[in-house]
Amino acid sequence: MATIENAHFTTLKGAYDTETMEATVKVRRFNPETGKSRFDTFIVTIPVTATVLDALDAIKDTCDGTLSYRKSCRMSVCGSCGMRVDGGAALACKVPMRKFVEAGHTITVSPMGNLPVIKDLVVDMTPFWDKIRAIKPYLDTKNADTPAKEWRINPADTALIHKESLCILCGCCVSECISMESDPDFLGPAALAKAYRFVGDARDKDTRERLRDLSGAHGIWDCTRCYFCNQRCPKGVDPRDAIAKLGAESFKEGFTSDAGAKHAKVFVDSTFKGGYLRETELVPKTIGPANAIKDIPFALQLARAGKVPNPLSPHKAKDNDEVKRLWKLLEKEAKGQPRRATAVHPDAVQEG
Amino acid sequence: MQERYAYYPGCLASLSQKELDSSTRAIAKKLEIELIEMPSVTCCGAGDIHEAKPDYYLHISARILGQAEQSGCDTILTICNVCTLNLRQANMALKEDAAVLNRVNDNLREVGAATYQGGVDVRHLLWEVSAGEGYERFKSIAVKSLEGLKVAPFYGCQILRPAKILGFENSDRPESLERLIRACGAEPIDYPAKVKCCGFPIVLAREDVALGELVQPLEQAMDAGADVMVTPCPLCPLSLDAWQRKAAAFSGREFGIPILHLAQLLGAAAGIEESELKFKRHVTRLSPSVQAKLQVPSVVGTKV
Repeated sequence: MATIENAHFTTLKGAYDTETMEATVKVRRFNPETGKSRFDTFIVTIPVTATVLDALDAIKDTCDGTLSYRKSCRMSVCGSCGMRVDGGAALACKVPMRKFVEAGHTITVSPMGNLPVIKDLVVDMTPFWDKIRAIKPYLDTKNADTPAKEWRINPADTALIHKESLCILCGCCVSECISMESDPDFLGPAALAKAYRFVGDARDKDTRERLRDLSGAHGIWDCTRCYFCNQRCPKGVDPRDAIAKLGAESFKEGFTSDAGAKHAKVFVDSTFKGGYLRETELVPKTIGPANAIKDIPFALQLARAGKVPNPLSPHKAKDNDEVKRLWKLLEKEAKGQPRRATAVHPDAVQEG
Repeated sequence: MQERYAYYPGCLASLSQKELDSSTRAIAKKLEIELIEMPSVTCCGAGDIHEAKPDYYLHISARILGQAEQSGCDTILTICNVCTLNLRQANMALKEDAAVLNRVNDNLREVGAATYQGGVDVRHLLWEVSAGEGYERFKSIAVKSLEGLKVAPFYGCQILRPAKILGFENSDRPESLERLIRACGAEPIDYPAKVKCCGFPIVLAREDVALGELVQPLEQAMDAGADVMVTPCPLCPLSLDAWQRKAAAFSGREFGIPILHLAQLLGAAAGIEESELKFKRHVTRLSPSVQAKLQVPSVVGTKV
């Protein structure tokens, strides 16, 4: 415990002449030299407008200079100060302290998850960057000529990747990804959202190769749809939605051999065949008949509890011909449309 | 709470999780709410159709919403997290863009299906009975106290996140299940993984990844001393119950914890019979002591 004078924000005070408040902050500390971690609690006086990052600055300036964390822009643009506030990843500079102080609540600040901790709140971003690099985060136009003028893209086509372009690579989504907790090799929400940013880019010509790689092991079908990434992203990127878009794009390209894609296909087919899901087809069609046979003892356990519906009398919804016709109509419509947006090479554009 | 709902049980409650459907119908009767059938609806797509064929997903969702509208209801009652998210997500997309809704309706008209005018809300049973008039009504029918029963609430993902589509309560610190567990006279158990994932969407395609996910809530609920877990989603019990023995082999730890549907827990407190709650339809059976606390007469040994 330590109480401090509020000398650190004299400049802020001068600029805004702001009111102050007393805040209590619990911080997870980790000392790499001893390998030990602990919680420290600090009491600091901060402006009522202060963020969690301002509170950490106050602690570092006046209580404990050894407290380590990353920061730079202080305005939710650089993506440096990702950390967990009360267990949920956020940008420390985007979270106001006032609501906690008014509620009499002591916040707990800890490092992001799914990344090794270097010291206190600083995590090693190497695994994060490795995955970003793995998805080839740059435009591949497969064109040796550097265009003399800029590309022209229809605004509607730019809008397709607008959300994914907002990513500031802070790692908040990765911190909370449940599939990454279980499979550290999963590409994860940040890299996959970045991948969609290029798959959906009208100028990029490496789409097929990208989708082939992304729809394999540790790729898009690893996502368990927990939606933590959408919930945590401070910039509205909605990485889970980007992963779903990659799924749809890989279906368009015919990359449907992964078990995850086969699983999705059973749902699609079930609807127009009968209405509800054909549960008994899900296992053999997802994992293959050979693996399904290996799972027979497991299936018998389920059957004993009445959990295996009769495969010979699948559910039939009324008026399901409507759905069949709908499917055919949409497939026909999709065939008549270009598979995706394309940009015209700038040098080929004639000035009108 | 409404007097009548367009009832959308979804696939699982109509197939492997029939006990959820029968428990829901029984509890609805006790609550004096009318469930209107929608015999022509399809699967919501479970996120799989959204991922594989997003345009088709939007159309079949509009068809489901349109059928609810045709039945004269302004609310669809769901009993599955995945149905709730998928229908609400499509509903939002259809309502916020008139051009999208018009195009979808043109296509629905062309195939002879009911169109959708945008007048339906999608609500989960949990939301309807854990707050407001629904909660009061449930308290008045919860005549049997399940005293001594320690219940680990497991929310699952798609009733909490993304909050901008679901938004019923704080997605990090929800309390609706706890409130209902208390209303049943039972004791809610707290553990961090209650808002995490059961792994079900990838349990077939990526079994090992899913097992790594689903052991977390099982282990934590057991460590916190829970007798049973309760969940508002029929997918979570498939994973947490049906895959429990595989999870045991995966983690080297025995579990043996029964996973109840929310409607079963509410039903037990409302004094509904085993013939409707069907506790015998669980892979992990109820132990005699849990049966006694749930006040369910002789579940073990009864014919499935």
